[in-house]
Amino acid sequence: MAGKNDAFMKRLLATFTVEADEHIKNITAGLIDLEKDLEPQVKAGMIETVFREAHSLKGAARAVNRSDMETICRSLETVFAELKRREIDLSPSLFDTLHRSVDMLNTITLSPPAEAAAGPVEISRITEKLEQAAGGEIETQEAIGDVKPPPEDAPRTSEPETLSPGPEFPVREIDETARKQKKSMSTVRISMEKLDSLLRQSEEMLTLKLMADRHLEDQLDLAHFFGLWNKQWAKIYPVICEFHRLQEKSEKQDGKRRQDDIRFARLLEFGERTHDNMKILESKLAELRRRSDRDRYATGLMVDNLLGDVKQILMLPFSTLFEAFPKLLRDLSHDQGKDVELSIRGGEIEIDRRILEEMRTVFIHLLRNTIDHGIEKPEARTKNGKPPRGMIQIAVSRSEGNRVEILLTDDGGGIDPGGLKEASCKRGIVSEEEARKLTEQDALPLVFQSGVSTSPIITDISGRGLGLAIVREKIEKFGGRVSIETERHKGTTLRMTLPLTVATFRGVLVTAAERPFIIPTTDVERTVRIKREEIRTVENRETLSLEGITIPLVKLSDVLELSERTDESPVITVLILESRGKRIGFRVDEILTEQEILVKGMSQPLSRVRNITAATILGSGKVVPVLNVSDLVKSAAASAVRPVAPAAPEAGGDTARKTVLVVEDSITSRMLLKNILETSGYLVKTAVDGIDGISQLKTEEFDAVVSDVDMPRMNGFNLTEKIRGDKKLARLPVVLVTALGSREDRERGIDVGANAYIVKNSFDQSNLLETLRRLV
Amino acid sequence: MKKTGGKSHGAPEDPGLVHAKSSEATTEEMRVVLRSRAKALAREPEREGAAEEYLEILAFLLAHETYAIETRFIREVYPLTELTPLPCTPDYIRGIINIRGQILTIIDMKKFFDLPEKGITNLNRVIVVEEGDMAMGILADEITGIRNIPKSDRNPPLPTMTGIHAGYIQGVAGEGLILMDMERFLNDRQLIVHEEVGK
Repeated sequence: MAGKNDAFMKRLLATFTVEADEHIKNITAGLIDLEKDLEPQVKAGMIETVFREAHSLKGAARAVNRSDMETICRSLETVFAELKRREIDLSPSLFDTLHRSVDMLNTITLSPPAEAAAGPVEISRITEKLEQAAGGEIETQEAIGDVKPPPEDAPRTSEPETLSPGPEFPVREIDETARKQKKSMSTVRISMEKLDSLLRQSEEMLTLKLMADRHLEDQLDLAHFFGLWNKQWAKIYPVICEFHRLQEKSEKQDGKRRQDDIRFARLLEFGERTHDNMKILESKLAELRRRSDRDRYATGLMVDNLLGDVKQILMLPFSTLFEAFPKLLRDLSHDQGKDVELSIRGGEIEIDRRILEEMRTVFIHLLRNTIDHGIEKPEARTKNGKPPRGMIQIAVSRSEGNRVEILLTDDGGGIDPGGLKEASCKRGIVSEEEARKLTEQDALPLVFQSGVSTSPIITDISGRGLGLAIVREKIEKFGGRVSIETERHKGTTLRMTLPLTVATFRGVLVTAAERPFIIPTTDVERTVRIKREEIRTVENRETLSLEGITIPLVKLSDVLELSERTDESPVITVLILESRGKRIGFRVDEILTEQEILVKGMSQPLSRVRNITAATILGSGKVVPVLNVSDLVKSAAASAVRPVAPAAPEAGGDTARKTVLVVEDSITSRMLLKNILETSGYLVKTAVDGIDGISQLKTEEFDAVVSDVDMPRMNGFNLTEKIRGDKKLARLPVVLVTALGSREDRERGIDVGANAYIVKNSFDQSNLLETLRRLV
Repeated sequence: MKKTGGKSHGAPEDPGLVHAKSSEATTEEMRVVLRSRAKALAREPEREGAAEEYLEILAFLLAHETYAIETRFIREVYPLTELTPLPCTPDYIRGIINIRGQILTIIDMKKFFDLPEKGITNLNRVIVVEEGDMAMGILADEITGIRNIPKSDRNPPLPTMTGIHAGYIQGVAGEGLILMDMERFLNDRQLIVHEEVGK
């Protein structure tokens, strides 16, 4: 446990060093710009920026217990708050002080915590100077928070000792890492573009892996073929031997070889040679398979390692961000005499590192806010009938398309819209009149305005009203969104959505209407196989019951607007997909596999396609669409408005008319059949022989074929064989109508796979129609 | 060669031809000949003055008409072997294909322009066109070739000639070659599929 903590602290500190460096650079840059002669408005913006950077740095420093830095930042913040209100002016001496304090921050960052303790005098001197610059004549609320630092300092530095036993050892270790970090600074800045291209190319290597799998499968098929051939050979071999014997015998009897015998001997010899060749091929194939297997393994390993490392560069799971939170929360809540429990879900979801890094600041602000304003003190909670310990939940889940949704929920006191309006008025963000008009719902977004805080007191943790403004800014920078829901005395939920950018994921390969589709594995709650009888119809909609819960059931092919022949298999495969709390069962033909997927976004002109988010390429090179589960669920819900019957277009009304292809060479018979079928409601197309028939079947959709047997060019038997041999048509019902009434012919008809065989002399309408009705 | 507008855009002399005639060529000589011949063939067609005078176009057959696209919009021509149809898209989107790891959208212009289906067509060629962000494959029955056509040799389209709206046509050249306005086609907002569920 201690070891884990140490390792974590090391990582945390290393991260902090990088982050602090960033903030300090930004503050320095801001200060330098401020010294230039600029428009007041531009300056105000810069002051705001520097203010926020200092604020963020303060938060980060606090997370790693760097109270020295925190103190300086707090004082810096105060100065900039005053500058913002224009209570003080920027004088050259003030700049000096500011720069010096930033320099000091820089020094502290680069030195390990133990050494930093050497300069408390310097620190207090600089904070004093800053305070003087900020305050002096005006007594501000900020001052309340800032007067305290020196006394506050002492207890905080001693805190780690009381909280974590035996800090000496870990601290020394941290020293070393920090020093190493300082010495080598082994980080390089590489443009995102280059990294992205690197990632893209490594991801492309996945195809190699999939291809290797595919090759092996093909070789396996070949091996099966050899197995089959071996069996056939074993059957024919005795025959060959028999012939040999017969030949020898006849030679002995006649004493001379006849011409036929010589030719026959050559034939036999050839057969045996072929056998030998086949054997050689077989063993070569076996060797090839072994090598392919080895290669596949090696390729897989190399690709996985490479991809893993490249992903490491760009993607990080949320947990790397979250692992710092339990400690941060504990420290924060202890300071405030509050008791809080943090639960985290979805930490394994990976997100682009660039986004995650920015989220660090966001979460630190949010958690502070929650502790400070949200969660009440244990006594107050008990009084409100809540457990004394507050709950904070962070839940990360994948949402629509390539995005992730983060929910930060607390069971605290919620936000008071009245207070919010008041504070907004005070800051001049809305006029009093506007504030009165605002409903509570409309007032909520005001929390994201800079400077709005409902906190009656500004503390060292929060109250300046900056936090949420920064949060929104950071999230929107990535094209994300943030919204807030709150209920007085019940709690607050912050909902953030962020893009994942270049996420790789796994997908489930399914078929619907005989076409392959990929469904992101993360969106599949579970898969079930149910019996047809288990489908219940509730209010005209199909449903299935799963552990007592009724879930709507739809056909994936219907949702994708694909037409499908009715499937009568007794067992149905269903994927339960979830989006925004809605669960829907999607029927598919079958589930083929679950595998790594390289998502390839679609480009112009396909800007956004309903129900489809991207595509992927399988090992075979086949392109498969990747489905958008959020859309699917929405589409399914939309189709729910319609009753079952029209949802399946073939099931009722005009659209239900089945199309039958009549293949018949005699024009009279053709007309007759067409007439019979049309009068009983079928749409009829005609073909003059098997060749014509098969080409029509390939270009158009039919529900059944009625064919004559005896025809020129291609007869009915051959046509049926062709139909059965075609992947797409294999299940098409075929009725053979013929004058050939013999048993052999009937058997032949069954052999080639016809569904029915109607003999013309027993032919009457009802027989044909009845047969067709049963088949389609 | 001044811009006299003549069609003689200097077919380069084949240096290999002369050598090849000497029958006792050694393999080494043969190789030299073949290499120089390959070089000569690989050379870009001469385009002196073509910048102003000629358009380099690729002509193709589609539904029994000959269309032409300026080669500056064409990335490559690709045989159509496998096509993945995309559900929930307009019918002019025939599907997507994989070209060396890239997903490309395949467009059927016949459907887009509502051309009448005239008999059986054999859409087995993909002309990959692109401009800016827009890249797609256009289906063609047959590629008839690349050639230069004089810029001046363009007449307004005949109203009876084709179903493609006149706006997408630059003109008709010589023997009924319909020159498409690819710039306009590729920038046509109508081509873009952007559909949300439930709208």
